[in-house]
Amino acid sequence: MQNSQEVSSQPFTEDKVAVIPCAGMDKALGSVARACAFKVVEKLRPGKAVLVCIPPLVAGVKPYSEMVKTYPSIPIDGCAERCATKIAVKNGARIKARILIPESAQKHNLKPGSASDIGPDGEELAEKIAEEIAAEIDRLVGK
Amino acid sequence: MTLATGKVGVICCSGEDLPEGTISRVATRLVLEKLRPDQTVTLCLPLFLAGGEDERAFARVFPTIAVDGCSKKCAEAGTKKFSGKPVATILVSEVMKKYPHLKVKSREKLEPQEMELATKVAEEIARKVDEILCRTAKK
Repeated sequence: MQNSQEVSSQPFTEDKVAVIPCAGMDKALGSVARACAFKVVEKLRPGKAVLVCIPPLVAGVKPYSEMVKTYPSIPIDGCAERCATKIAVKNGARIKARILIPESAQKHNLKPGSASDIGPDGEELAEKIAEEIAAEIDRLVGK
Repeated sequence: MTLATGKVGVICCSGEDLPEGTISRVATRLVLEKLRPDQTVTLCLPLFLAGGEDERAFARVFPTIAVDGCSKKCAEAGTKKFSGKPVATILVSEVMKKYPHLKVKSREKLEPQEMELATKVAEEIARKVDEILCRTAKK
């Protein structure tokens, strides 16, 4: 998890968190971003996390554009371009935490396979990051 | 500088909201890695939308195919807005109508039926790539 000037300190009372994965196409780490977002919203915190799909968010399609304004957000970036964070900020998201997958991969010493198949290391990395995000969601909106 | 020729950019929505988005992603990777590896490149839609100038410049110069999961057509709309209209759009939900026996429900890992559909979509993309390159070569 990162702290930065993009991390908002506004108070909030919402009961859900918007998870915004980059889902980058060209790198294995984009696939890991996608995989950990699914783990959070489908398995670990299904009632507390909502998944925000970036393309319709940019297009201003509801409910995505409303989700990022209503709920605290956690973008998941697959590379240093940090597209998910940039797009979230541009669309009025209140970012409470950020994930940068390359940093997490380094921290856990795991090397995902390819964009098509992230392999066992990629799966393990996605699990670990998903658990960190779930813990952050609990911290933000309660257990 | 060498200008790459004979390339088509494939931009998929990769949407997380529906299984069709996952199909668009897997189908695009199949084209890039197996069906037309030398004729295609992918453009990362989030990077494209976030302002990636290299991605946008490529799509201004080279023909592109948008692969969209649903009728919102985000990949097509994004490409059109920032670079130019894609030469073709493949809509996964439309391809699915041709194969009603193939059901999709997973957003994360594809089951054999879903992989079969992804392969069908990939074959449609590959056919479009051939058409586009054939047209370009005749000019």
